[in-house]
This record gives sequence, C-alpha cells and structure tokens, in this order.
Amino acid sequence: MGLLARGIEARGVTTVALGLVKEVAVAAHAPRFLYLHWPFGHALGEVGNVAQQRAVLHDMLSMAISASGPGLVVELPYRWRRETYLPVADWNKPSDALASALSLQGDLEVQGR
Amino acid sequence: MRQQKKIESSARTGWLKHLLPERAFNSALFFGVIPVGTEFGHWVSKLVALPQLKKLAVGKVPWTPLRNPLSESTVVLISTGGVHLRSDHPFNLNGDPTFRVIPKGAQSANLAISHQAYDRTDALKDINLVFPIERLRELEAEHVIGRLAEEHYGFGLMPSAKGLIPAIKEVARRISESGVDLALLVPA
Repeated sequence: MGLLARGIEARGVTTVALGLVKEVAVAAHAPRFLYLHWPFGHALGEVGNVAQQRAVLHDMLSMAISASGPGLVVELPYRWRRETYLPVADWNKPSDALASALSLQGDLEVQGR
Repeated sequence: MRQQKKIESSARTGWLKHLLPERAFNSALFFGVIPVGTEFGHWVSKLVALPQLKKLAVGKVPWTPLRNPLSESTVVLISTGGVHLRSDHPFNLNGDPTFRVIPKGAQSANLAISHQAYDRTDALKDINLVFPIERLRELEAEHVIGRLAEEHYGFGLMPSAKGLIPAIKEVARRISESGVDLALLVPA
C-alpha cells in the first residue's frame, strides 16, 4: 500500500492511503497516510452505514487538501461501532478529525522550535 | 556468508518461518487459521509487511500537492482488498503480483472479491467497505469531486513487496497518463 502510494505520487499524482495497522502506516513512509483501529475488511466502516463511509472519505479528501508536507500519518479517532456520524457539512473544509490532528502537529512544531 | 544471511532473515521474520514452509507461511491456509481482525491478525500483518517496508520504503518521500480544488479534481480509487470484476480472472489466493482494472460504472453485483486474508462476509454485502465506488459516484454527482476516473484498480493479497514493483509502475503510469489528480488507496 505504502509503496503503491509512493510510486503513484512520484509520477505527479496526489495520493492518500488508508490503513488499519499503525506500525505499517508509519513504516510505509507514504506521502499521506491515515489509519483506523477497525477490523480488516471494514476500512470504510459497517455495512450500509453511508454516513460513516462518507465521513472516512471526507477525512481522506481533507488529508489531500490540507497536509502540508510529505510523510504525514494521522490516526482517526473513531471507535468501532460506538460513534454517531453526522452528515458532512462542507467538503472543502477539513474534517474535525483532520483539523485536530493537524493543529496538534502544529503545536508540536511550535514546541520543537 | 550464506549462513549470516539466513540468520538475518530469520531474525526479521521470527520463529514462525522455522515451523512453516515458505508457501504455507504466506498462504491462505496460514491466514485461514487466524481469527481475522484480531490482535493476532494485526501482528501477522506487521510480521509480513514491516521487514519488506524497511527494505523498500527508503529514500525521500515523494510529494505532489493537489493542484486543483477538489471540485475540479479527477479521482481514482485503488483497493488492495482483492476486488475485481466477476468476469475477470480471480486473484491467486496465495498471493498475486498483478492488478485488475475496474470500470467507473461497475455495479456491485458484477464485482467479486478474491482474497483470503480477511473476513469478506461484510464486504460482500457492501462492497464500499473495501472499494467505496458507490460513495465516490455520489460525490461526483454532488460535484464534491470533479470527476471519477474511467478506470479504477484492484490488487489482491500481495505476495512480496518486491514482486509487486512492475504492477505498481504500470498502475502509476496509467494513472498519471490519464490525467488523474488524486488517488485514494483503500486496504483490505
């Protein structure tokens, strides 16, 4: 997955990879990687849960527009089967999950300086 | 020298490789005995993927910022969940270094899954769990994204990362030459 993302991005196409295993997401050194703690075979969520599937796609699209540099790995905060997913209000604004991950990253960078 | 190599490789892949022949180690038989989606399944995933990534995911991470707004971007979907057209050749369940093309308009009744390393029960009821093509068609209709690419891509159980390189190169070439802006990669 990570190698595929790297190969495609190297040809001039933006990539966002989704994963289910944190260690693999980190080791992949992909341009943009999101991961979830959900069972295999359920990367987008549960059968027929359109709002949930759209929320994950919103996170992926948010990553495409708002990641500012290569190698960003973001953990999505959703618990398995214990979340309520609201309809996406604005697809051009980063999702809450992405916005909080990015602001956390910004804070760390400020602290690092 | 050879002895040393052997020791290095067994240190990377752990004790299981001593107990099982290579083929069985990678095979569906092996995955079949593991309750998928569990801690142990995750552990196996790490066991198989991490040493390969350490070797191959090296050097500078490539970077291409999205050049257009989402509403003007062409999007392609890539799944490693073993999805393919029912009319196409199934993937080799023990590992397959090839890919399948899935047209934009493919209906879920015409899609199949050839992959034994995860529980496909739910994905067979709702293909979007591993290949969210219906959700993306909705986003295209709602003008959230500009356009869905004509061709999307499916991969099966990946045997060795190294063996996959020709297929990765070919898919990357097709995607970049067809004017795609954004590729979304979804796992099994």
